Amino acid sequence: MTGVSFSAEQEDALQEVINVGMGQGGAALGAILDAYVTLSVPQVRIVSAGEVADHVEAMMARLPETDPSEVAAVRQAFFSSLRGESITFFGVHGCNALADLMGHEVPASEDAIDEELLMEVSNVLAGAMVNGVADQLATDFAFSAPTFMSRDESLRNLLTPETVGWRHALLVEVSFRVQERDFACHLALLMPEDSLERLRGELDRLLERL
Amino acid sequence: MALPVLVADDSAMSRKLIIRAFPDDWDVVVHQAADGDEALAQAEAHQVRLMFLDLTMPGTDGFSVLTGIRERGLDVFVVVVSADVQPRAEEHAAELGAAAFLRKPLDADELRGLLAERGFV
Repeated sequence: MTGVSFSAEQEDALQEVINVGMGQGGAALGAILDAYVTLSVPQVRIVSAGEVADHVEAMMARLPETDPSEVAAVRQAFFSSLRGESITFFGVHGCNALADLMGHEVPASEDAIDEELLMEVSNVLAGAMVNGVADQLATDFAFSAPTFMSRDESLRNLLTPETVGWRHALLVEVSFRVQERDFACHLALLMPEDSLERLRGELDRLLERL
Repeated sequence: MALPVLVADDSAMSRKLIIRAFPDDWDVVVHQAADGDEALAQAEAHQVRLMFLDLTMPGTDGFSVLTGIRERGLDVFVVVVSADVQPRAEEHAAELGAAAFLRKPLDADELRGLLAERGFV
C-alpha cells in the first residue's frame, strides 16, 4: 500500500482540492436545475480493485431506492496528465424529479428513464467538478462522451479486479441533493494507481507555494 | 492593539492559504479552528473581532457557526470563505449574519481588497 498512500499533508490538500471541485460541480448542477444543491463533505480514500464494487454498492444503497435495478449510472472517462473515470448514480425517483426540475416530460412508466437527460446532467456535473479539480492543480482534462450503464448489467460485473485494469485506485465519493425536490445523485471519481504518483507531485507543488 | 482574528476551516491548507493572503505587517493575532465547535469556543475565548469561516465542515458546519455567533451575541465580522459558490449559499450566509462572502479557490487580492474596503487595514 505504501506505493499508493498519501502523506497527511497531501491528504489534507487533496481533500480541499476535491471540496472546491465539488463546489464547482454543485454550482453547475444548481444552475441547470435552478435549485439549491446541498453539498456534503466528500469521502476520499484508496481502494483495491477487490473492494471497489462493495464501495460503489454502498453508495447506491444511500440513495432512496432500495432495489439496485432502480439505480441508473452514467460513466465517463477523463484523461490528460492524470486519468480516471467518473460514475454518476441516479435513483429512478430522482430521475423523475430531475425531468420535472428541467421541464422535461416525466416518463409515463415508473421504470422508464430519460437516458439522454441523465447523460446530459452527469456530463455537466462531472465536467464541472473534474475541471474544478484540474484548475487548482494547474492541469486540464479531456473527456470521453458519457455512456449509459444498462440497468440489466450488474455494476458488480463491471467493476471486477479483472475488468477495471488497476490494483489500487483513489475513490472520491460526493453526494448532491436538492432537498425541496427529493432529488439526490452520487458521483464517484476513480483515479488508478498510475496517476497517483503524478497527483502526489501536483499536490506537493501546491503545498510548496504556501 | 493587535486585532484578534480567527481562521476556521477543516483544511490546514485552506487555513494557510487564507493567512498567507493577509497583508504584510498587518497587526493581528491569528487563531485557528479546524471545526465549527472549536470556532465558536475560540471566538468567545479570544474575543475574536474578525473571522474567516468555511461553510462545508464535518459536524458543526459554517451555517451553524453563524447561528451560534448570533445566539451567543458575539460581535464578530464574519467573512465566509466557501467552496459552495451557489448564490443561495451566499444569501443564506448573509441572512445568518455573515458580513462578506469570498469564493474558493481564494483570490488573495480579493481578500486584501475586502479588508481595505471594510477598514481593517
